[in-house]
Amino acid sequence: MKTLLRNRYSGLVYYHLAALLCIALTTLVLKPIESYLEIQFITLLYLLPVMVSTVLWGLTPGILAGFLAFLAVNYFFIQPYYTFKVHATQDLITLIIFLVVAVVMSQLIGKAQAGVRLARQREWEATRMYELISALAGLQDPASIARVLANHTQETFQFMQVEVVIDSIKGSPLITAAAPGLLPGQDQQPMRIPIKTARRQEAAIWIWHPNEPLSTEETRLLDACLSQAALALERTRLAKSETKARVLEESDRLKSSMLNSVSHELRSPLAAIKTSVSSLRSGVVDWDTAARQELLETIEEETDDLNLLVGNLLDMSRIESGALKPQRKWNSIAEIALGIAAKMRSQLHNHRLEIDLPEELPLVPTDYIMIGQVFTNLISNSIKYAPVGTTIKINASRESDCLHVQVINQSPAVPEEHLERIFDKFYRITEADRVTGTGLGLSICKGIIEAHGGKIWAKNQANGFGFHFTLPLDLDGALPEFPEEGSDG
Amino acid sequence: MDKDPLILLVDDEPQILRALKTILLANHFRIALAMTGEEGMALAVAQPPDLIILDLTLPDMDGILFCEQIREWSHVPIIVLSVRDSEKDKVAALDKGADDYLTKPFGIEELLARIRVALRHSEQSIGNKQSIIKAGNVTIDLARHIVIRGEEEIRVTATEFKLLSYLTGHADRVLTHQAILTHVWGFSESDHVEYLRVYIGQLRKKLEANPNEPQIILTEPGIGYRFKTSE
Repeated sequence: MKTLLRNRYSGLVYYHLAALLCIALTTLVLKPIESYLEIQFITLLYLLPVMVSTVLWGLTPGILAGFLAFLAVNYFFIQPYYTFKVHATQDLITLIIFLVVAVVMSQLIGKAQAGVRLARQREWEATRMYELISALAGLQDPASIARVLANHTQETFQFMQVEVVIDSIKGSPLITAAAPGLLPGQDQQPMRIPIKTARRQEAAIWIWHPNEPLSTEETRLLDACLSQAALALERTRLAKSETKARVLEESDRLKSSMLNSVSHELRSPLAAIKTSVSSLRSGVVDWDTAARQELLETIEEETDDLNLLVGNLLDMSRIESGALKPQRKWNSIAEIALGIAAKMRSQLHNHRLEIDLPEELPLVPTDYIMIGQVFTNLISNSIKYAPVGTTIKINASRESDCLHVQVINQSPAVPEEHLERIFDKFYRITEADRVTGTGLGLSICKGIIEAHGGKIWAKNQANGFGFHFTLPLDLDGALPEFPEEGSDG
Repeated sequence: MDKDPLILLVDDEPQILRALKTILLANHFRIALAMTGEEGMALAVAQPPDLIILDLTLPDMDGILFCEQIREWSHVPIIVLSVRDSEKDKVAALDKGADDYLTKPFGIEELLARIRVALRHSEQSIGNKQSIIKAGNVTIDLARHIVIRGEEEIRVTATEFKLLSYLTGHADRVLTHQAILTHVWGFSESDHVEYLRVYIGQLRKKLEANPNEPQIILTEPGIGYRFKTSE
């Protein structure tokens, strides 16, 4: 600081000396050729060093030059020579004119120089802003935005250290940028400035800066940078909301498609029941026993159908809301599969069901009814799609720590891209109106198997189309404790 | 019986009550109706029924609690009605004293069969228990510890016989896993269901014509087992 002041001071001194020299030089040049020049011309010529001094060295050297010029003209060129007598008012006016020239010039030049400096400053600011905006333009996540901001502000303003904290991310790492080799001391207090748009605060920035406060221009530039960052952060936040909104919209669309499908499925059996019952009651037709029996049979079958449907819907809604809690107990998979096979005998009249489950299969911890539902749905699906007269095979094997069950039918192969998606709700490969059912069966299987900690998938294989699922063989790490052999008579 | 058996129906749904009343009256039963647990309890005290049909989802009282309370002073058979997916409740009711269950919606044949079994058992507990049980072509002589299938005698282990006699002692009625484990093995919790699976499997192999499609020892999904006799 002191050196700076001294430099300034000595600078000033040099400038004034230079002004003096200028006048001296002019005098030296003009004196010898005095006889060839008019006095007015000489006076005029002295304007030049005054102008030069002002332009090159500033106002006070210019004023000094003005005075010295007047004195020089008076002393060297006006009679009596080598005296400082002011003779006429004209001479006084000459002096005044020299001074006025000096002052006006320096003002004009000063303004012009300030104008250039300002323009350069503005240009630099604009460039920095442009760089920041381009850097922020493509960014999609708040962390990168914060990083760019921190680096940019640190470089632009030469701060010692900058930290950015993003409000919307809890516990986010502070993004830091520091001047290489410089670190703020322990006792240095950072400045904290919020980064906000007109709508809300998005983040905050902490700045470590050697003790000078920021100038007005610097503050203004910093504010502009911060509001750009705030806008960028707002943009990413809104983009995320928009994505969420779109997802919700899609889910709503799916829900309404589900409602349509369900409504149709519910109404069909209801319609059949209503028709049959009202016919029986109407008394218009005299029903004979066989016809009556048929109508009554229809009513009972459709009621059972409705019951299944309601069950499916409940299962699906439980799965969706995460309320599906299997009551897992040790069970024999054969017992479950065989029980379902017996129940479904009437539906299997067009197909053959072969169950091949070796006796040595270990017990598996399952919810009996839920896994029963899985078999029901897989067999149902097989009945729907496998050609009449073909065989549906169920077998299982042990694979290290899980049981692998397969339900294989002879239905046509499914294109690869659909294989995973058939377990989605309402997913249909064929035309919706040609296939009955709600389209929930397979997704219920998936929900149940996954709630058991297993996996389910489908495969086109050499011997047909196969549904596969696995079930873990341990119940939270425990295995069944079997009674000892030969412990009873 | 000089009078038709009295059945107390406890259910808060008027449609069910209406339907059951019509059917049961037509089948020579007398009926008492209650729409809340309290009403049911009061009627059971005022006019002791021969059987109670109880819906588990009553508005004022937990059906399981109803069973517990009735059992404090009466052995009247109780059949509980409930929907699918409430196996836990059914098991709890059965363990607290209910004798059998039906899942809504049910067919009337099932209901009448259950009612018959329940009434038969309550008669028997007053009189003597049967010592010879027949199921399909299997005959079990509880007194002499003999099991015959078709023409030949089948050898059963001590534990298998104990299990068999417990099942047949409650023939045609559902028995929960816990009830079986407690009475046959003495376990206080149903933690060792695996024992059951093994022994039931063995019994089925010995007694059933086709062990894969049991006709005698039936699985009650999620609840327990039932021994079905020829009656």
